[in-house]
Amino acid sequence: MMVGCMISILLTGCWDQQLLVNRTLVNGISLDVTKEGEIDATVRALHIQSKGGGLFEIQDEVVEAKRPTVVGLGIDMDSKIAGAIDASKAHIIIIGEELAKKGIHPYIEFMYRNMDSYMSSKVVISKGKAKTILSTEIEKSPIAFFILQMLNGAESDTVIPKETTFTVWKKVLDPGKDMVLPYLEQVESDKVEVAGVALFNDDQYTGTKLSKEKSSVLLSLMGKLGKTNNMALILGQESNGQSISFTTNDIRRNLEVHVDKNNKITCKINLKMDIEVGSFPQNFKNELNIKKLNQDLSDELTKQAKEITSTLLEANCDALGIGQRISSFHPELWKKIRWEEEYQNVQFEPTVKVNIIKTGNVF
Amino acid sequence: MPNVVQKTAKGDGWISTLFAGVVVQIMLIIYWQLLKRFPTLIYTEITKKILGSVLGKLINLVIYLNFILVGGLATILLIKIINLWLLPYTPGWVISLLILTACIYLTISDLRIIARFLVLATSLILLLLFTSLLSWFTEKEILYILPIGSSGLKNILMGSKNSLLAMLGFEGLLLLFPFILENKKGVFKTISMANLFITLFYTYFIFLTLISFSQDQLAQMREPILNLLRGITYNMIDRVDLLFLSIWIVPMATSIIAYLYFASKSMNVDKRKYPKVVFLNGFIIFLITLIPHEDAIITLFNQYVSYLSYGVVFIIPSLLLILSVLLKKHESSEST
Repeated sequence: MMVGCMISILLTGCWDQQLLVNRTLVNGISLDVTKEGEIDATVRALHIQSKGGGLFEIQDEVVEAKRPTVVGLGIDMDSKIAGAIDASKAHIIIIGEELAKKGIHPYIEFMYRNMDSYMSSKVVISKGKAKTILSTEIEKSPIAFFILQMLNGAESDTVIPKETTFTVWKKVLDPGKDMVLPYLEQVESDKVEVAGVALFNDDQYTGTKLSKEKSSVLLSLMGKLGKTNNMALILGQESNGQSISFTTNDIRRNLEVHVDKNNKITCKINLKMDIEVGSFPQNFKNELNIKKLNQDLSDELTKQAKEITSTLLEANCDALGIGQRISSFHPELWKKIRWEEEYQNVQFEPTVKVNIIKTGNVF
Repeated sequence: MPNVVQKTAKGDGWISTLFAGVVVQIMLIIYWQLLKRFPTLIYTEITKKILGSVLGKLINLVIYLNFILVGGLATILLIKIINLWLLPYTPGWVISLLILTACIYLTISDLRIIARFLVLATSLILLLLFTSLLSWFTEKEILYILPIGSSGLKNILMGSKNSLLAMLGFEGLLLLFPFILENKKGVFKTISMANLFITLFYTYFIFLTLISFSQDQLAQMREPILNLLRGITYNMIDRVDLLFLSIWIVPMATSIIAYLYFASKSMNVDKRKYPKVVFLNGFIIFLITLIPHEDAIITLFNQYVSYLSYGVVFIIPSLLLILSVLLKKHESSEST
């Protein structure tokens, strides 16, 4: 009996041991809605099999399950693959456009309630079915890792925001702020591309998306800057305009929300950008007129910023967190209004000021 | 703690904690006045001295019950967290047995050794501070706490009530004071500093969670601080919350040790019998931890224990002080 007690105490760890060889590691999840309204989940999983002598055979497999709701999908999956399913390293969650329009909160809730699951998975929206993206076959690495790398790259270039399950959880439950999520698109049968950002209203995809170029400007307006932010613009008329590409080194954003006597909400955004010219093919006989170029760029970007803010209003996506400001600084007004409707009447006044600080190797 | 404070005080939760610190400080002054009158007696001896043998013993039973139940509650909560986050498949009684064995072993030893261990464990707080600094790199929204004072005075005070419970433990002074050998005058300064530190410490964490999570989200969570760490990720290290929790078990166990010690001390037994009493109390705590770990039962248990604590920590000492002043009783005066 003594021995029995000792063993049970000393070997307590064994209750919770989970051998790698018995498990199937999920590295990507996709969620879609079928025509019948069922949830169609697909996972990309790595199955590890020991071949003895420290050698492992790794198989990449695609598993699919359908259910009326998200609940129970995990159980279905588990019964379809060998070994226990392990979502503790699911790097990406792709949600199909149609499903995202119905609201993504139930699927995120499942991820954060579960203690095992990975809170830093990237959440992205896909054009069309998410399944087609996840089942894309590329040569070497599993597609999930490829997409992960792509997203990381796009984040540091300030094309898409850094959104994980963790941050999405916060934003879905925040009444004063809406989110934008990366938008993926399958361009060829074996290629996937980051196509911009999808605008959300609460947890529902509004159906409006911004292209890559515009999402860079939007993120700047939100005061975000990854490692770099590369932009290319055409100044003046499309046909005879000059093209310029530049890298943003530093941004300073100032966002002010004013409420006047009639409770009209005005939002002033001042964005200052320090940029470095990347390429600017021009007539080299004239000296570069930095002052004029600054002005032209500022005008062009201000114009774009205005387009973006009106798109945000149309989509009813409060990505800049104006509601948050109102609830913090004008609590009486916040209690009075229905923000969902009132947001439409917000007037945006964005101004962008560009300052060229470097011109590269040449003047 | 942050989510209970937040439930009532919303974005002003951090004011609640500061206020709770003030209340604790007032209680410390009351304790100090009481202890000055009876410098060599512990809490349970003072009750007998003031209230007489029969009534004193009754009160002592309540005090003992309080310590043993709080000890049990602390163990249950610790087991629950371990079961939820770290070892989901290990039966609760095994964890309980392992923790309590270690705690009993330490409690039997000299007070000096316990104190040394607690100091060692306290240094792990630095680790908590360090990991919390890491979380500053995730997105923060300072606007969540604005406008200050929006939830109203009543809710802020209600929030304080909740955070007071987390600050319990200072009542140990009543049992430990006679054992402090040198510089009794300096003790008050030391405990006041300790109170200040704890208050600021809690306020900092409440503040951190308030600006990290939106309010609806915070209301959902059980352990906001662990969730805060869960969001951090690096190439080398993932799931900082689990790493942190494994280390944090040690400081959490110290509160079990403290309550086991208080309970055993409050029984007023002589030195030779003391180890046996500790064993007995340890076993009682073990039995308490065997009650089913359902959320509803634990919440109920928590509620009753907290009422008991209010009585033992706040009301009884205050009454004792008032009585001792009215009856002009000092340690030197004859016992009745």
